[in-house]
Amino acid sequence: MMIEAIPTAFIFFAAAALILILPKGLARNIVMLGTPILSAVLVWNTGLGNFAQIPFFGFELEFMRLDKLSRIFVLIFCLAAFLGNLFAWHLRDSLQQVAALAYAGSAIGAAQAGDMITLFFYWEGTAIASVFLIWARGTAGAYATGMRYLIIQIASGVILIAGVAVFFAETGTITFDKMELASLGTWLIFISFGMKCAFPLLHNWLQDSYPAATITGTVILSAFTTKLAVYALARGFAGTEILIYIGTVMTLFPIFFAEIENDLRRVLAYSLNNQLGFMVVGVGIGTEMALNGTASHAFAHILYKALLFMSVGAVMFRTGTSKASELGGLYRTMPLTAVFCLIGAASISAFPLFSGFVTKSLTLTAVAEEHKLIIWLCLVFASAGVLSHSGIKIPFFTFFAHDSGMRPKEAPRHMLWAMGITAFLCIAIGVYPDPLYALLPYDLDYHPYTMDHVVAQLQLLFFALLAFAVIFRAGLHPPEIRAVNMDSDVIYRKFTPSVMRYLAFVVAALFRGVTGMINRSAARLVHRLHHSHGPDGSRAASWPAGAMVMSIAALLGLALLVIFFS
Amino acid sequence: MHNNPHDTPEDNPEDYPKLGRMLGWVDRPGNDTKIFYVLCAICVVCFGLSWTFHMHGHFHMEEARGFYAIYGFVMFSALIFAATFLRILVKRREDFYGDKAIDCEDYPEDQLQRLNHNDD
Repeated sequence: MMIEAIPTAFIFFAAAALILILPKGLARNIVMLGTPILSAVLVWNTGLGNFAQIPFFGFELEFMRLDKLSRIFVLIFCLAAFLGNLFAWHLRDSLQQVAALAYAGSAIGAAQAGDMITLFFYWEGTAIASVFLIWARGTAGAYATGMRYLIIQIASGVILIAGVAVFFAETGTITFDKMELASLGTWLIFISFGMKCAFPLLHNWLQDSYPAATITGTVILSAFTTKLAVYALARGFAGTEILIYIGTVMTLFPIFFAEIENDLRRVLAYSLNNQLGFMVVGVGIGTEMALNGTASHAFAHILYKALLFMSVGAVMFRTGTSKASELGGLYRTMPLTAVFCLIGAASISAFPLFSGFVTKSLTLTAVAEEHKLIIWLCLVFASAGVLSHSGIKIPFFTFFAHDSGMRPKEAPRHMLWAMGITAFLCIAIGVYPDPLYALLPYDLDYHPYTMDHVVAQLQLLFFALLAFAVIFRAGLHPPEIRAVNMDSDVIYRKFTPSVMRYLAFVVAALFRGVTGMINRSAARLVHRLHHSHGPDGSRAASWPAGAMVMSIAALLGLALLVIFFS
Repeated sequence: MHNNPHDTPEDNPEDYPKLGRMLGWVDRPGNDTKIFYVLCAICVVCFGLSWTFHMHGHFHMEEARGFYAIYGFVMFSALIFAATFLRILVKRREDFYGDKAIDCEDYPEDQLQRLNHNDD
């Protein structure tokens, strides 16, 4: 086997094993950073094709399918792993280091899977490896949250393999390619993808778990699971119309929740959900332009979302909190982190010269080309909404607004490097998008910097900013307060447990009543028999004296018969 | 506990990093109003640009002058007020999910590096 034909995931798994025998510190960090670089270089040099086919119980498993769609996801996953690991340079925690490598490896493996059995293995791999990034926080809350996360992620995998089995029975193939959403098997696969992609009402694991992970763990988590699901949808269900509507709802509802959420890492999780919506709409449209939009948006999004999680994480690392109500005014002593956060905010808000501008517009153009006015209006509204929570709320209430009195030290040097490189990439993509465009699944002839587009976007954003300024100065902006907001997770965290408790109470009461009644009537029966047939009973007085002799004689006779016939 | 203003009586803006002192301009008295007026000026310019060229779009409404400006302003305001209303419906106390939730537990201190800017 040539070195190029080694599935990239295996390199990550080998590195994860190597970590365990290396001493903590520099040697490990070299492996943590070297693995993604080596992998990206190998993937780049391998070129496109189908490598590493392995027979497995009569199936042909394809461990390394590299085409233009999977390659861009594999490359951005490698880049995200590098940046996340650089941000976590200070970590001396074997568990998180192994989990980070195994998790990135699984996500890359899934993106390279050419068949759905391989996909399933890696799908579950991402679930199992990633939960340790939550549990590593080591608190009771993180444990409970991790359990909820794991149950949902594993359920997604179980539904996937059930769908694959049904699909195989229906079609006789396990190849992972475009499917028609028409049969039970494809619906199960679709729902499985939807769970990981945080479809509306299946979404809440995301906002529940990402704020519960460790500071560095959240940065890693933000890159892989959901974008893997986007890739899987793009591969399997491109052009499926229902995705347009699902995606539109996804872009809309999180912006309202993000606006009132206090925990900034949860705000970012809502924002992530909203960004996934744009990608899902792109998949639903399914044209070449739209799929290019999805892939490029995923690429840019992984970077600016990681940057935002890093900046909030750096603040948390220095202050112990990520709650907007406790923060404010940190630009004084963490100015570099503040600037990097602003770059991330400008990128996600899609200001011209930043990465969001050159990628999100592909999806919007694709929607407009299909003349879907309502969808388009929703997406433009959602773009303004992104500015609201990610563009304004995160940097403004962390680094500006009222002075919290905290004077934390600037983020450690390795975090600044991680944020700096990511920020540089956000701007580089925005200023010079051609290399990214060249990586996209389909050929693209698109010029984002036209007068129309720039002016339209500037109008949208600056007038939205103006609305914020007017509302804020009028004191009408919802204040940052310590509170939680109910979302759909209230169903399984509050309502279902209360219903279960109520049901348990009723069933237990019924059980106690019925068994009590049986016990009492049995006791009454015994008491009555004793009363009539007991030694002092009225019937006992009339028994003949020879009754005992008679019964012994009968028993002996029975014994004789048994012995005779046996 | 670090990061408490009472622990750092020697809070001296001269000690801040240079970039931090420069950014401090935004907090000088009156400057928030200046920023607001600059923002208004930018908005006027953006709006005015609509008259300098003919906007091409896939929909008719895009070609209306200032469509994006008005849509952005109105929808953004609507978003804020809708979210304020949503908060009335969904807001709960921080301990709503009990003590086995991360919302009211502290981040483990041993995983942090709490330092004030003048600590070494």
